[in-house]
Amino acid sequence: MTEPGFLDIISFGRDGWGPVLAAGAWMTILIAIAGFAIGGVIGIFGAWAKISGGPVVRGSAEAFTTVLRGIPDLLVIYLFYFGGSAVVTAVGQFFGQEGFVSFPGFLAGALAVGITSGAQQTEVYRGAFRAVHPGELEAATACGMGRLLKFRRITAPLTLRHALPGLGNVWQVVLKESALVSVTGVVELLRQAQIGAGSTSRPFDFFFIAAMIYLAISTVSGLVLQVTERRFSRGVRRG
Amino acid sequence: MNMSAAVTAPVAIRVHDLHKSFGPVEVLKGVSLDAREGEVISILGSSGSGKSTLLRCINMLEVPNSGTIEVAGEAIRLKTLSDGRSRPADQKQVDRIRSELGMVFQSFNLWSHKTVLENVIEAPVHVLKRPRAEAIEEAEALLAKVGIADKRNHYPSHVSGGQQQRAAIARALAMRPKAMLFDEPTSALDPELVGEVLRVMRGLAEEGRTMLVVTHEMGFARDVSSRVVFVHKGTIEEEGPPDEVFTRSRSERFRQFIKS
Repeated sequence: MTEPGFLDIISFGRDGWGPVLAAGAWMTILIAIAGFAIGGVIGIFGAWAKISGGPVVRGSAEAFTTVLRGIPDLLVIYLFYFGGSAVVTAVGQFFGQEGFVSFPGFLAGALAVGITSGAQQTEVYRGAFRAVHPGELEAATACGMGRLLKFRRITAPLTLRHALPGLGNVWQVVLKESALVSVTGVVELLRQAQIGAGSTSRPFDFFFIAAMIYLAISTVSGLVLQVTERRFSRGVRRG
Repeated sequence: MNMSAAVTAPVAIRVHDLHKSFGPVEVLKGVSLDAREGEVISILGSSGSGKSTLLRCINMLEVPNSGTIEVAGEAIRLKTLSDGRSRPADQKQVDRIRSELGMVFQSFNLWSHKTVLENVIEAPVHVLKRPRAEAIEEAEALLAKVGIADKRNHYPSHVSGGQQQRAAIARALAMRPKAMLFDEPTSALDPELVGEVLRVMRGLAEEGRTMLVVTHEMGFARDVSSRVVFVHKGTIEEEGPPDEVFTRSRSERFRQFIKS
């Protein structure tokens, strides 16, 4: 096999690495979206727990964020992957399966990324809620809105408006963290670049292209976020 | 307002023996007050006297420790928790009664993510389930009435404080309330904007609306209200028609208060 040139690497033609790199990039986006969504659910419940939970609920939420912030993210992924695998293996053995059964890397990665980003999103949502003028919430109460209606019509949109800039940061972090999931063997963008780098003599080209793709993804998502932010901050006086 | 009507009109809001403490501080020490339909009651008092707390207890923004609140003859049911605090027994009842009382706040509290018009139709559409088109029609009439029809599509942060407060009054009126509660409606306004809000409130009083107004505006209390209530240290210290209490009050404290 002849060594590919730079253009061969990005080409979608025969011998081109384009299709697999694109598939890797797609996997990266999927991991990031799944992780971000899991983190969002955790974040909303975490913020709710910290704001209006009793001492026990609040304490556990506090412990969760403190612990998660003190552990390297890579280690969280390992814990989920090997911990999950141990559980799956045990279950497998119970049903007569032999040997090591690995936990799905995608699931382990999404969960790990989700949990670490959940700790960050908890803080984002909590800070955003604190920034809402309490009088606006009281006005909703005073005109007879029930809890759910008030949350849906008033509390959530006002909180989201303050949360969006912070959520944008979390998204960028999640996107980069998704690269760590490559250690579980999920072929996302970084893993695919490593494979390419290992099977040709052009490691720099592959990693450089991967870097450009990451940059493109984060730029596009940054733009989407800007538009969303503008939509939600209608009525905010810009100084 | 016709004074004889004030005596015979049905009671819109009845407050009986209301007690409220914040921690160890007893803010209301047994307050009773009847507001008949069509009455405009100015509630005066120095800061910390408990006058705002009294108003906020009526729609349960503060839950009293004991005592009763009746709105149009219906008592708000309370229950006592094991730790001695009280809570509404039936949240649905409280929500419904709140929707029948229009509240206007010191700091306006318009929803900043909604335009002036959206603020006014929000609760009629989502709480009272009125058809949206009908709510918009009524909201536009109300905005015209308070003089800000041209601001209907502005966000609250883009109009003046006086306009925000008039929008907030329109928002409260849109619920077709049985009574209006005003909690220091002009205290957060620049002096030159106070007049436009007071003019709107005077118009509502002349329509015969039932209004409870916590205020520092002596002119409004004297000229517009049918009754003045002076709250001092959690009790009602003086009460009566304005021409009576402002000229010959038996309360030394009230005479001091209106002098300052």
